[in-house]
Amino acid sequence: MQTKPNPGFFKRNAPIAGEAEAIDRAKNGDPDAFAKLYALHKRRVYTLCLRMLGNVSEAEDMTQEAFLHLFRKLGSFRGESAFSTWLHRLTVNLVLMHLRKKGLQLVSLEETINPSEEDAPKRDFGSRDTMLTGSVDRVTLERAVALLPPGYRMVFVLHDVEGFEHNEIATMLECSTGNSKSQLHKARLKLRELLRESQALAAAPEPAAQKVSLGQKVIAR
Amino acid sequence: MKDLDTANFDNMTTAEFEEYLPELFENSGGSISKDPRFAKFFQSNPDCAALVRDLETIAEQARSLFEPIGAGSDPSDSVWSNIASKLKEESTDKEEN
Repeated sequence: MQTKPNPGFFKRNAPIAGEAEAIDRAKNGDPDAFAKLYALHKRRVYTLCLRMLGNVSEAEDMTQEAFLHLFRKLGSFRGESAFSTWLHRLTVNLVLMHLRKKGLQLVSLEETINPSEEDAPKRDFGSRDTMLTGSVDRVTLERAVALLPPGYRMVFVLHDVEGFEHNEIATMLECSTGNSKSQLHKARLKLRELLRESQALAAAPEPAAQKVSLGQKVIAR
Repeated sequence: MKDLDTANFDNMTTAEFEEYLPELFENSGGSISKDPRFAKFFQSNPDCAALVRDLETIAEQARSLFEPIGAGSDPSDSVWSNIASKLKEESTDKEEN
């Protein structure tokens, strides 16, 4: 069967106006050029950290670390991959190192191999009315992603949002590519479940919907 | 992971089909629902067809999350202040050494 390229890969490689010049100048110690690189990439780096960590304060700390690390390592950037790809990989590695230092087993995938009954996606073949109604808006999806168990969320964000390939994820998370594929599939199944719950609640009478909407679950985290 | 080369999708149960799904998604570039090889299977198993379309929708919409939009996507101003002051400290240390 033919393998098609992951569209996310190309998205990550889109050139940004003024970036190449800023990189060259920042490599030569120009502080304004580094400030420009920060301005160009802060949102993506911060959002990546936030999605991986699920916590604003930690995400800001890791954004800071990522850019400090970038400043120290910028001289080693040779342009073999797109700068944004290189920066995102650097950020992901820092976040994973941070999580390992914290002693959290988020990246061992143990949790997602044997998720708790509540966290695991349910198998619902055979049931009726199983399809999501219409399209999924990005706000609702973003909220649902935040509700994923950490191991599922990690693989989903890295593959479906960031566009990393399974072999890259396997290297970063120290697991097999088969495991990465399997976790991604479970993450999507779990998201489908969360999105369907959200749609069912939106269609439910007001008080029930208010109690446990996706948005409130996220706020409560 | 299941071997796609030996699979017979026309005579497959829904549970068997699900076992192939992770590999199918990886190899199809995310367009299983339009692949003629599965047309017969989806016709006999509309719930599977619905599942696949939903998972495709989720994967497609996930790409749009790459580019952050709106308030809350930016780190607070203190992040840059901290970075700038640390860089200043580091360059002062370098000059002194």
